[in-house]
Parts: sequence; C-alpha cells; structure tokens
Amino acid sequence: MAVNRASIVDQNFQDAIAATPEAAAPAHPEAPLRPGSGLTGRRALAILESVVATRHLDLEARELKARNEGFYTIASAGHELNAVVADCSRPTDPAFLHYRSGGFFVHRASQVPGSTPLLDVLLGTVASSDEPMAGGRHKVFGSLALAVPPQTSTIASHLPKAVGAAFTIARRKRLGLTGPGGDDGIVICSFGDASSNHSTACGAFNLAALADHQNLPCPVLFVCEDNGLGISVRTPQGWVESRFRNDPGIKYFGCDGLDLVDAWETARAAVAYVRSTRRPTLLHLRLVRLLGHAGSDVEQLYRSSGEIETDEAQDPVLATARALITGGFASRQQVLELYRETRARVAALGREVVTRPRIESAEEVMAPLAPRDPDAIAAEATRPPEAEARAAFWGRLPEEERPRHMAMLINRGLGDLLVKYPEAILFGEDVARKGGVYHVTADLQKRAGVGRVFNSPLDETSILGMALGSAQMGLLPLPEIQYLAYLHNAVDQLRGEAGSQSFFSQGQVRNPMVVRIAGLAYQKGFGGHFHNDNGVAALLEIPGLVVACPSNGPDAVGMMRSLVAAARLHGQVGVVLEPIALYMTKGLHDDDDGRWLFDYPGPEHHVPIGSARLWTAQDYAVEGGPAVDPEALLDAAPELTIVSFANGLWMSLRVAEQLRRQGRTVEVLDIRWLKPLPEAALLAAAGRSGRVLVVDECRRNSGVADAILALYAELDTPPRLSRITGYDTYIPLGDAANLVLIQEDDILDAAERLLEVE
Amino acid sequence: MSPSRRRALVLCPGRGSYARDSLGSLQGVDSPALDTFDALRRSLGRPTVRELDAAESFRGSLHAAGEHASSLTAAASLADLEALDPDKIEVVAVCGNSMGWYTALAFAGALSLEDGARLVETMGSYQAREEHGVVGGQLVYPLVDGRWRPDPALLGAVGAAVAAIPDLYWSIRLGGQAVLGGSTEALAAAQEALPALERGAHRYPLRLPLHSAFHTPLLAPTAARAGRELAGLGWRAPRLPLVDGRGAEWRPLTADPAALRDYTLGHQVTEPFDFTAMLRTALGAYAPDLVVLPGPGSSLGGAVGQVLVELGWQGLRSKDAFVRRQTDPERGPVLAAMRWPDQRGVVARSA
Repeated sequence: MAVNRASIVDQNFQDAIAATPEAAAPAHPEAPLRPGSGLTGRRALAILESVVATRHLDLEARELKARNEGFYTIASAGHELNAVVADCSRPTDPAFLHYRSGGFFVHRASQVPGSTPLLDVLLGTVASSDEPMAGGRHKVFGSLALAVPPQTSTIASHLPKAVGAAFTIARRKRLGLTGPGGDDGIVICSFGDASSNHSTACGAFNLAALADHQNLPCPVLFVCEDNGLGISVRTPQGWVESRFRNDPGIKYFGCDGLDLVDAWETARAAVAYVRSTRRPTLLHLRLVRLLGHAGSDVEQLYRSSGEIETDEAQDPVLATARALITGGFASRQQVLELYRETRARVAALGREVVTRPRIESAEEVMAPLAPRDPDAIAAEATRPPEAEARAAFWGRLPEEERPRHMAMLINRGLGDLLVKYPEAILFGEDVARKGGVYHVTADLQKRAGVGRVFNSPLDETSILGMALGSAQMGLLPLPEIQYLAYLHNAVDQLRGEAGSQSFFSQGQVRNPMVVRIAGLAYQKGFGGHFHNDNGVAALLEIPGLVVACPSNGPDAVGMMRSLVAAARLHGQVGVVLEPIALYMTKGLHDDDDGRWLFDYPGPEHHVPIGSARLWTAQDYAVEGGPAVDPEALLDAAPELTIVSFANGLWMSLRVAEQLRRQGRTVEVLDIRWLKPLPEAALLAAAGRSGRVLVVDECRRNSGVADAILALYAELDTPPRLSRITGYDTYIPLGDAANLVLIQEDDILDAAERLLEVE
Repeated sequence: MSPSRRRALVLCPGRGSYARDSLGSLQGVDSPALDTFDALRRSLGRPTVRELDAAESFRGSLHAAGEHASSLTAAASLADLEALDPDKIEVVAVCGNSMGWYTALAFAGALSLEDGARLVETMGSYQAREEHGVVGGQLVYPLVDGRWRPDPALLGAVGAAVAAIPDLYWSIRLGGQAVLGGSTEALAAAQEALPALERGAHRYPLRLPLHSAFHTPLLAPTAARAGRELAGLGWRAPRLPLVDGRGAEWRPLTADPAALRDYTLGHQVTEPFDFTAMLRTALGAYAPDLVVLPGPGSSLGGAVGQVLVELGWQGLRSKDAFVRRQTDPERGPVLAAMRWPDQRGVVARSA
C-alpha cells in the first residue's frame, strides 16, 4: 500500500517548526527578512499566511477525496511560493494560471477585500454549483474580481491567449479604448516545466518574441514553475534555463522558487522589468512537487523514496516559516497556531461545502454554452452603423454599388462591421495590404487603419490566441484563417479554449469572436488538398460553437451580422466557413447570367442563427425558360426537397432547374448554418415533399449529412431519404479532384432515383 | 477546552442596538467594560452608562442621541462578550456593523479597553448637539421582499435615487436593506423618489432619527477631526482576526496597526460600509458554526439571516429555513443573539 505522503509532509512541518530555534530577540515587522532585501517581515508573514492556507487546501482536498466527497486532488504543494508573483504584481494584472498556482490565487485574493478563496477553491473541489466561477463544471482558479480568468491549462493551451492579451494592451490604447488591466497592466501566465515543451507553448513564446522583435509592446510575464517532472517524466536537468536564458526575444529571470527572499526579489525584478519595458519576460521558479502528481498518482512507482524525501525536505512552506522564526518575526508558537487555526478553518469550510448543491441536470450543465436571445441578436444585428462614420469610411455606400459577387459583398460587410464596432479588429495571414489571397479584405486596412486591420504571423495558433486574448481584453476580433486545412493544427484554441471559456465561467469570462475560414473544394484549376479541404467535423463537434456556411453574398453578410451581434451580446464564438469556389462566382445557370451577383444588403438585413432559406422554382428558374406559375407552385406540393449548402446548394439549384424542365417540382433548402442546424425548417420541408435528398459536399465520414439524416431517421414516419457526399479522401490536385467530389450529374441521378421511389 | 466547542463569529452591533426595551438590562452586571466606560464618562462629565441604563423611562432624545447611544451599545456588547464561555465556543473571527467596528476593535484586542472606550466616546461626542451636531442623516430602505428574496426593482430604485440625487450616498449595504446617507435635502428627495412600502410595523423609506450620515463623504470633516484628536490611541495588531466593512481581513500576525488606524478613522467613516461583504467574507474565510450577536438588541439578526440565506450557508436557503434553524434543538441556532436567554445560553457561561 502506498505511503500517505500528505500525512508525512503535514507532520514534518509541525515537527520541524517545533525544533526550529527562535531568534534571540523579536525583529521589527518592517525590518527586512534578510539584510538588503526589500521584503519586510510583515510582508513575508502575509505570504506565509497564504502559503499555509494553500497547503491546507491541498491537504483538505485529499481528505474530501478520501471521504468520496471531493473530485480534484492535483495540488499546489511545493509550488506555493508562486505567491511571490502575486505579491509583486497588481491585483488588476490579468493572470492566466495553471493548476498548481494556488499560492498565487490565494495570495492575490488576500489583496482584494471581500475575497473568499478558501471557500471558493473548496466549492470547486467538491464540484458544487455554488462555486462562483465554473459553477461546479470544473475545479479552476478563476475570479473576475481577481482578474484571473478560469483555466484548466493542462497542456499550456492558455499561453497564446496570454500573449494575445498582452499584445492588446497597447493596441487597445492606440484605438482610444480601455479595458481590463489598464494601460500599464501586464499579463501573467503560469505553466509547468513539462508543458513548456508543448508546441502550443512554443508558439506563444515565438509570438511574444516576434512582437518584441518588431518593437511591438508585449508585456507578458511567463512564469515557468519548474518542478522537474511531467507526471512521471523527468525534465532534463537544466533544460528550462538552457532553453530560455539566451532566447533573444524573451528576457530570462531565474531563481530558487523554494527560497522566499530569492523568489520574491527575482519576481519583483521580473515584474518591474516587464512593466517598465513592456517586453516579454520569463520568470523561472525552480521548485519541487510534493504530494505526487495527483491524489491517484503512486509516485513510488517511478521515483525512489530517497528522491521523494529529498523533495519533501525542501518544503517551501516549512522553509518560509523557519526563516520567519529564525529571523525573529514570529515565534514557534505563533507559526504553529497559524498552522492549526488555518487547518481548522479549512476543515470547517470542508464541512460547509459538502452541504452545498451540485449540478443536477444536463440542461444546467449546458446552460452557459449557448445563451442566445434571438430577439436581442436581431435588434443588435440590424442596428445600423453610424451614418456619418459609414459615409466617411466608404465614400460611396456599398448598397449604391452594382450587384457584386460574394467576396466583394463580404468585404463590404466586414467594412461595415469595422465602422459599427470601434473595438473590432481584423487580422490574419495576408489580410492587410494584399487584402487576402482572394481579396476579401481588400482596402480594409487602408480604410480602417493599420491598428485595426493587420497581418498576423504565419501560425494559426497565434492567430486564434491573439483572438482569444484580445477578446478577453475587451476587443472584438474578426480573425481570418486562410484555408480550412490550416485550422487543424490550431483547432484546440477554438475547441479547448475559446469554446470552453463561457462554459467554465458561467458566461462571466467571454471571448467573443467571429472567425472567418476560407474553405471547401471546387476551386477550378487550383488547389489540391490544402486549398480545397472539405473536412468540417473538427468544427461541428465543438460544444456551443456556431458555424455559418453561406452560399451567397447577402447571406454571408447577414450571417456575419448575426454572429457579431451574438458575440457582442452573449460572448458567442462563431465561425464563418466561406466557400472559396463561390467567392467570385457570378452566374448560376451560365457564367453570364449574373444570377450569383447580388445587391449589397442594407443594414436592416440579417440572417438569424440557425435559419434556413428555401429556394423554390420561382427563385432558381432560368429567365426566359419555361414559365413558372406562382399560383400552381402554391397549390402543388413539391415532389422532392434537396437539402444542401455552399457549393452543393449552387449545384443543386442548377439540377433543380433541369428537373423542373422535366416537369418535376423541386424545392431546394439551403441550411446555411452547419451548427445549429435549422431543424424546424428541415422537418417542414420534408413534410411538404416526403422525399429528401441531402447533398453534402463534405466527406462521407463525419460530414454534415449525418446529423440531417439522423434527424429524419428518428421521425415516426421518415421521408424517403437519400444522400450523396464527397468521398473519404484528401482532395487531389487538378481535375482529379472531381473524381472524389459531388458532380451535378450525381445530384441529378440521385434525385431521379429518389423521385422514382414509391 | 472542549473538543466539541463551536466555531463562533462575533458580530458587534451598531448603535441601534440599545432601545426602549433595553432599559435596565445593565443593572447588576459586573463588567470591566462597563466599569471602563463609566470611569471615562465620569471623567468627561457625562452620565455613566449604568446611570443612563437606570433611567426610569427611555427618552429618545437622551438614549438614542449619538453621544450616549454609541457608548450604551458598545459597553453593553463588551459586557456580553465577557460572558462568552470558551468551553462552548471558540471565537474564530470578529466583525462589527458600523460603529460596532469600534467594539470589535476593542474586543479583538486591536485597542485596549480604555482606548476602545475613548474611540467610541469621541466619535459619539461629535454628534452631541452642543458639538458639531448631527451631520445629515440616514434612511433605511428594503432590498428584499417579506420572505427575504432579493427584489431587483427595489435595488434598481435605490441605485437610481443615489445616481440622481446630489449628496445622497450608499451608507451601509445591510443584507436585505440599504442604508442611505446624505444631507437633509438629499434624504427628503430620496423619501420622495423611493416608492413607499410597508414591511411589518415599519413604513419605508424609514428615517433614522439622530443619526449622522456616517460612511459617506459628508463625514470627511469628522474623520479629519478624529484623526487629530485620537492621535494618542495605542493601536496594535488584534489577537483575533478582524473582518472590516469592506470585507478585508486584519489578522494577528500581519495586521499593520498604522493601517488599521488609517482605515478606522478614514475609509470606515467616509466610504460605504459593506456589511454584506463583511459577513460574507467572515463566513467564507472562517466557516463559523454560528454568529454571536452581543448587545442589548437583536435587530441586526434579520440582516445576518438575509446574508446567510443569500449564501445558502449551512444549507439555509430561505427565510423559513433560517427561522426553523433558530429553534432546531439538535443543531442549535446559527445566530446567537445574547439578549435572548436561550440563545445566550448556547455561547455564554451560566449566570
């Protein structure tokens, strides 16, 4: 049976304090803890109070787990002196903390009246819905009052947004805006030595250094809490220092994180450096991990007793207390009384929290995911931008222009959003002077300024991290991902971070954003897989995310307006998946018919989230072709419904016209939103025709069609169903692409077969 | 010391505690605190606390006047606290509402009994009519319905009044009640602006007679004068943790006496006093089993109950649950108001 190291660490502390020699005379509380240090006895005692409380939180978490009442035992033990970073920074400096930064959290709370960190942490440990930040959805360190957004931070995925937040401070000021942290705030983020190897973390270090290289202020303080272990894997001796000491873009400060004076002096110097120079800085705290990785971790399986005991002998809480006793700032009895009193109140809080409610329904769990108010979104989406500002921005207003293709209308839509929301920023690869690889953002930098429309580094994790950080700092980011295939290396920034922030904070901490992604296939004469990717499963599985996929310009503009409104009102994270092949498409039935060019929709236009559009023969029939009798259309039930989106929609309309000429009545439903699906419209359309052909241009496996077919299949009387999809493959170069993508003949064949089914 | 003794938060009441039915409650009480107050008052030529308490009838103009009511409340509260039984309870933290903070300072040892009495006497004396007199005033307005459920409309009305009326301020956030302070004109305007309500025997907005606009900027001259005239007080770190009217903690090992003085004679006098935050913090930091309310009155009990219910403390999530809990024979009351013999018995030595 494993030895209970928590009891050993606990007892060691009390025994060692009882044996610590006291100073000959008491010291003045304002005297330095060590000659020459700026750390006074009183300040050190306050840190001692915080780290003792943090230790008892860890011990109590083990007790609660043993009683089967607690669910989280990953401890801060050994790391407690990260409290010095809180001591040397301001409580308003945003701090993205990892799961061993309890000392920081408790100590920062001690600086903000009205905080109850011990209660809050224990409420999280027992997953009570009373926990004020995550409401029982996770054990997090998080508090609005303490400027600590909640993190789970298991894989350093919070580092890019910390850099984004730091970068935003100066950018925000330049735009004449204010927000969290103030203009001279710094951004703090902590992480472990093992996760400093994560490519996401490395991307964040690179982004910060790259900003600094261009003399862009990026006041981020990386705090690497180096305990030498990633669960059971040793970090090679000296690796963290070797990695960072000579990094040209990041100033390195290293110290013994087990020695209060060294840690405090170094933290103070690092904080002062980053605050005054506005340059990325790394504080390397060398410390130990006590109590194993988590309560379930049997450390003895991979470490010798000697190694474990060596670390325990370096217990920083004990070392801090001993320094204060030997320095004459506290007596043995006072320290032991503090230890006893803190244990007693933490235990009493432990008894209190188990009486508190827990989440009781799936609805309650999911409530923060999509708190959308459609009426409010409609009102906000159609609120016009200020007319004078708009006129100044455009000169000639977009709605006065001739009908334009989708790329141009998106451009105009983005411009109007920049006018309407002074806090909106637009960035991505090549979006600035070049105007994007498809000119969708052409001239927007010229019109809105370099502070609001700018190129990003070539790294999607950095782009989304920038979006996350800037959103949390009060801006409204409209990032662009150049191609869908490039999203996938960075999708965790959406999935694990952006999408989850509202969930883990009950909507208190938001990262509103609208991510534009150019994607899908059918580009003529260009491409291969990386420019024609049609895999959308990675987006569709993200809880709470809204995914728009317009097939035409007016829809794209109206959908962006709704997404931005939902972002502003509810913190919504939205994606617009823009079908590249339709960007420049002008015609529907032939290249010259101009049927895919549209007038710019005025500010009163929007497309509600989750709303479909039905195309009837009146809408798609060839002008000058066989007449469409509107009265007959009203009377006759359609024989077939084709359900599609994007390129598939455009092709389906062409096929529908062929069928119409054969005397068939066909409706085409553009679902427009891949998530949430327009379920009511899907069911209504099927009810009218009784035959549904789903045309999903994405891959057969985990495409869009699955959910639609499942919706129908679960009906008591399903319609007659058929689907056609792309193949499960990457897209090849050249004409071979058409071998694996839906063609119009495929749609026609499938439609005719379905029409023949009795 | 009994292992089963309960964890207690001491909450010292403000000066409304000593009321008509308190008269005579201090007679025959043997208390160093009463002795200290009486000696000081005698030296200042004022009627002693015991003399005031011995009056035949309660006179608002006498007993409720600032220069007497504060001392009556503080002395009586401290006398009660002398009777706490360490075998029954362990005091884990101390706080006080409004001028009850002064009582708390003395009880927690941040000031000696003598200096605590001097603080109470001095601050009270500033409200004597022959001194500066009463500065402005206070009124009370409810923020909850009769069952202690928050009513956003009431909070909205208070917020709107404070925003619209010059010289009207939040004075105390008192659980389910707002105490507003301001100039006489501001209070008159507030009485016009706030919808009239009846709750039990009271009609709201309810003016508090003879109360200055404490915890508002109008008291800045008072704070400045106190800083000069009370410069000789001997401030110390408390021996018990204190939680103040912002929800900040003052702990024995770390409290800075100079900062404690500055807060008490500055912020505490001129800025809003957040009773709700104070109690919430004290509960969340010290997890008491019960709240001890010393002093001759128990009117603060409602505000305590409202905060407990708002937090769901110990599973109490409604007024009814709180009221039931107060007479729960197994668990005992969650609030022990020492004026009531049965509740006093839970925390105090037998007489």
